[in-house]
Amino acid sequence: MVMRKLQLELPLNQTQKVRFKRAMERLQFLSSTTNNSVIVADSIHEDAFLLKGHGTSEVDGELMATVCGVVTHVDKLVYIRTLRARYKPEVKDIVVGRVIEVSKSCWRLELNSTKDGILKLSSMDNDVQRRKTYVDELNMRNIIVEDDVVCAEVGCIHRDGGLELRATSYKYGKLEKGQHLMVDPYLVKRSNIHFHYIESLGIDLIIGRNGFIWVGEHVQAQDHMILDDEMIKHTSLETRQSILRIGNAIRVLSNLGFTMTLEVIMETFNLSNAENIDVYDMLGSEFHVLVAENELERRIRRA
Amino acid sequence: MEYVNPEGLRLDGRRFNEMRQIVAEVGVVSKADGSAVFEMGNTKVIAAVYGPREIQNKSQQKKNDHAVVLCEYSMAQFSTGDRRRQKFDRRSTELSLVIRQTMEACILTELMPHSQIDIFLQVLQADGGTRSACINAATLALADAGIPMRDLAVSCSAGYLNSTPLLDLNYVEDSAGGADVTVGILPKLDKVTLLQMDAKLPMETFETVFALASEGCKAIAERIREVLQENTKQLEYRRAA
Amino acid sequence: MEGRLANMWRLTVNESKFVETALQSELRVDGRGLYDYRKLTIKFGKEYGSSEVQLGQTHVMGFVTAQMVQPYKDRPNEGSLSIFTEFSPMADPSFEPGRPGESAVELGRIIDRGLRESRAVDTESLCILAGKMVWSVRIDLHILDNGGNLVDAANIAALAALMTFRRPDCTVGGENGQEVIIHPPEEREPLPLIIHHLPIAFTFGFFNKGNIVVMDPTYVEEAVMCGRMTVTVNANGDICAIQKPGEEGVNQSVILHCLRLASSRAAATTKIIREEVEAYNRERSLQKVKRHPTLAKSEVSGPTVAVKEEYRKSSDQEKAAEISREHVERLKLSPEELRSSKEQEATNFKGGPSNWDPYSEAMDVDSLKVSLASEGDSITKSSSKKKTNGSGNAQKDGGEISVEEVTGDLGKKDTKHKDGEMTLKDAVKPKKKRKNKT
Repeated sequence: MVMRKLQLELPLNQTQKVRFKRAMERLQFLSSTTNNSVIVADSIHEDAFLLKGHGTSEVDGELMATVCGVVTHVDKLVYIRTLRARYKPEVKDIVVGRVIEVSKSCWRLELNSTKDGILKLSSMDNDVQRRKTYVDELNMRNIIVEDDVVCAEVGCIHRDGGLELRATSYKYGKLEKGQHLMVDPYLVKRSNIHFHYIESLGIDLIIGRNGFIWVGEHVQAQDHMILDDEMIKHTSLETRQSILRIGNAIRVLSNLGFTMTLEVIMETFNLSNAENIDVYDMLGSEFHVLVAENELERRIRRA
Repeated sequence: MEYVNPEGLRLDGRRFNEMRQIVAEVGVVSKADGSAVFEMGNTKVIAAVYGPREIQNKSQQKKNDHAVVLCEYSMAQFSTGDRRRQKFDRRSTELSLVIRQTMEACILTELMPHSQIDIFLQVLQADGGTRSACINAATLALADAGIPMRDLAVSCSAGYLNSTPLLDLNYVEDSAGGADVTVGILPKLDKVTLLQMDAKLPMETFETVFALASEGCKAIAERIREVLQENTKQLEYRRAA
Repeated sequence: MEGRLANMWRLTVNESKFVETALQSELRVDGRGLYDYRKLTIKFGKEYGSSEVQLGQTHVMGFVTAQMVQPYKDRPNEGSLSIFTEFSPMADPSFEPGRPGESAVELGRIIDRGLRESRAVDTESLCILAGKMVWSVRIDLHILDNGGNLVDAANIAALAALMTFRRPDCTVGGENGQEVIIHPPEEREPLPLIIHHLPIAFTFGFFNKGNIVVMDPTYVEEAVMCGRMTVTVNANGDICAIQKPGEEGVNQSVILHCLRLASSRAAATTKIIREEVEAYNRERSLQKVKRHPTLAKSEVSGPTVAVKEEYRKSSDQEKAAEISREHVERLKLSPEELRSSKEQEATNFKGGPSNWDPYSEAMDVDSLKVSLASEGDSITKSSSKKKTNGSGNAQKDGGEISVEEVTGDLGKKDTKHKDGEMTLKDAVKPKKKRKNKT
């Protein structure tokens, strides 16, 4: 329970506890009244003619849940949307991963999923279609090495679970000058835009569907195969502070279990600025309570 | 020594069919995919589950189209009264094997081929019934990690002292030399997965003790369901639209 | 690591399907009924407390030894009983040498629970001086061949070894009553352990999601089965231990059914074990009765004693050969005697493979010579002798080395034994002579 995690990390004093509790209760009240959540071995009430999807299993004619989650209907399909599970890859998802191995003509990425992602050298295509030679293979380490953070797109998923990634455009590839954060995958919803460029701050924000988020200084999209010989430009203090602030905003939201969208993140960021809270204090109990109350108001506004 | 006084009260004041107090929490280890703390009276166990993730050691894969389940049971050296000498002894090895096989029976390993699920169990306080507490904690942690399971595996122990079957023995009652029956069941499917007994019991007495332990398991199952339901609801409404 | 995986025998899909479909029609692959056990043979070794059990193809040896140690602090009046298992790689390619693996530890603990926690062996009688000295009994179980169902076989081996074990008698004496005097077996008869009841283990295998139950699964069936359960019961109707370590869930009714099956068979198996042990004890006591007065210190069988005496008298190797041949003829003439001493021969052999029955094949004189000669050598219990004995037998089993050479070796030993000093010439001489003879 996230609440308990908070109690472990942050001691809330009495007033804070009361405020927090109230905010949570009202949030609960706001959320949809039909309670579709099930746990393992609960039976699902089904109508006939339903396709049984993920998280369900039929035992003796009765449909039972095999995971804890929420029952979702899409047309004739009934499945269970899990909450705290590992990332389930879907084709064309944008993901951020960390390199764990460089092997012959491919990189292996850790994606917080059941299987590691494989980024093949040949999938790092550019506009200039060029066949990769052995020279490129030897140069692999000069481009991307272990522990680098890489952004890519899910290419295809094999039957045995093997996951192939593609980094076919300039916006994908190695990510530099920033911070890499890990949140639960269920907090990141599928949307049209995952690459956000916050102009006012000069910051790139990439929200990967696998729960890995990248906050960094804005870098012009360029060919990642060309080795950059220029001197690495120094990032200004302001930009770095903004990066940290956004990073902490994401951490607070993840602790509280709220969905990550650009809107919510920016609101939290602005809130911290408005309240003149120091970057480190953002992880303190007061700010958590403030964010919870703010979220409540935001949802009321939206509803 | 008298373990059940003439009025029917045990050493800690419970009746013969009363269980110790249960406290269960989910999501306590932030780094793990799923985690839980399970307390039965003074026995406290923490479980952490990692997975399903890429298989680390290819040689451990015996069945190609199933996930590999690994389990490690260890007692912290401060868990018992006197400091324990070794962390991993033969008892820990046997319990790791037994708990692993119990959880394997309820995880749907066919759905996650070529992957590995690690279950780590650490006993923080030992006061009898640690293996039952471990199985219950592991179930909670696996459900928290979103790993598909056939049913929730729950476990409870019972014994026989002073001619009375007793539910949920603590350490003093366990080391009295009477029988100790540990039962693990899948409540919804009504099947027995784990059954261990030591010390001698005549057949009829065994049946009584076994039935008592099964009842205890059902009560624990109720409690675990409550905790999981509450947790799922909370996560869902926070996540919101 | 890779080697182990390569060595691990894997079941083919074909085989597993076959076993399962056969079981659905209540047929087992080796023709047994669902609840039938394979053939059980129990043999004993030369030492007290060593046994050898064969259950079908499964082959287990058990050894019991005792040592005087300080007792545990919380149990000052009780001795201790500990079980060690050795899963040798010769039994199964997937066993690794060194530290016991999971299954070895589990097997040890199942048997331990059955024996110790059910108080089958009386530990209070193992106390010598309360709080200071107690007997610590150690059971070593060696798995020689894994044909499935190791638990049952190992349990019976442990029980048989415990029942035939004798510990030295000791008295407490001395000035302040704190000295412990251990009496050697020649002075006082060693004592047996006090065993209250015999807990026997029965293993069940579950198939088809727990609907089909089988007793005494073989190696192939173990690879196919989805769950198992070991029940340890004694003949009095008590359940001593149960081990169902997870795996497939079964109904409660199936479990109770298994318990009843086990209880009903406990009496029969107990009877078999007790009979074998009694037969062995009887022979042992017969041997003692036949003991020759001049050789008071050793327990040797009747015919071989005569051989030894003759050996001592003649220093000539030829004569010895003649004598042994004489004895062979003598023995040949009395086949009944032969058969009665068959068991003795088998039991007096140390280090020989247990299946080796000296009278199984058509008897040839030379091999009998070998056996008699080696018996003759076992006067003192020096370990070197035993080693050479063992090597001699092993060589014979190899079948490659000619019998003459073996007898030659033993002949060498004789000279060593007699004179105490030996030269290379002595070693060479007898060999030549034997070759000339035959």
